[in-house]
Amino acid sequence: MSAPNEDTMSSQLSSHFFGDLLDSIIVDVASECHRIARLGLDRNLEEEEEELRLSAQARVRVADPSNSGEANSKYVVDIFGQSHPAIASEIFECMNCGRSIMAGRFAPHLEKCMGKGRKARLKATRSSTAAQNRYSRGSPVSSYSPYSNSTSTSRLSNGTPGVGGEEYSNGTLEEP
Amino acid sequence: MRPSVNRPPTPDARLDREKEPSVLEIINIKLIESGEKERLMELLRERLIECGWKDEMKALCRAFVKKKGRNNVTVDDLVHVIMPKGRASIPDSVKAELLQRIRTFLVSAAV
Repeated sequence: MSAPNEDTMSSQLSSHFFGDLLDSIIVDVASECHRIARLGLDRNLEEEEEELRLSAQARVRVADPSNSGEANSKYVVDIFGQSHPAIASEIFECMNCGRSIMAGRFAPHLEKCMGKGRKARLKATRSSTAAQNRYSRGSPVSSYSPYSNSTSTSRLSNGTPGVGGEEYSNGTLEEP
Repeated sequence: MRPSVNRPPTPDARLDREKEPSVLEIINIKLIESGEKERLMELLRERLIECGWKDEMKALCRAFVKKKGRNNVTVDDLVHVIMPKGRASIPDSVKAELLQRIRTFLVSAAV
């Protein structure tokens, strides 16, 4: 059994060292918060509103046609002062069909290459056409569909996006 | 050349030899050398994160930064912001656990 003096001494020492540890941790936390503050890593609401306002102003200035100065006002000038043609002209290879495609025409190309074109339909996987047949045959009511010609399920109509869209073309697919 | 105002006087080796390291210093050295201080710090850090204390302190800091402007803040400012509240808002259980660990170490160090 320890004498009361020892206990007091011991608890004083313990408190001292606890305080020491705590101070170190407090300094660490303060340092971390300081770093976050100075680097702007904190999503501070007030700052965001300010930045949103500034970016909105900048956008107005950029969109303003009187700023372009050039005869060709179709081309917008970016922050580095460079102007870009309206349609991206870099050429690369399509990963689906391997043809050389111009970047600006890539999206419509992909549509034909992977999706809605007649030729693309023939490439479509068996599972997706099987799924599409399943849905169209199983439907009790051929209800209103704003897009498709409801007599034909095998033809993808305009406006429905890609292969997945075929399943809904008759408007019969219900949400679970 | 103007002497730096903040620099303490160079300690005199003659006088130093007579000073004994205090009990506090001895224990501190033992804590550090044994690695126990590091372990205690990690334990305290973990407990303070678990109980939300760190988040409270970060919120205080954020409020201060918002008020003062993020480029005008110093580490010293933030330390002063959280020190009083920080020391006072430690949960009793956390404090007790750490004190117990320290006391155990003191006994084992048997100064």
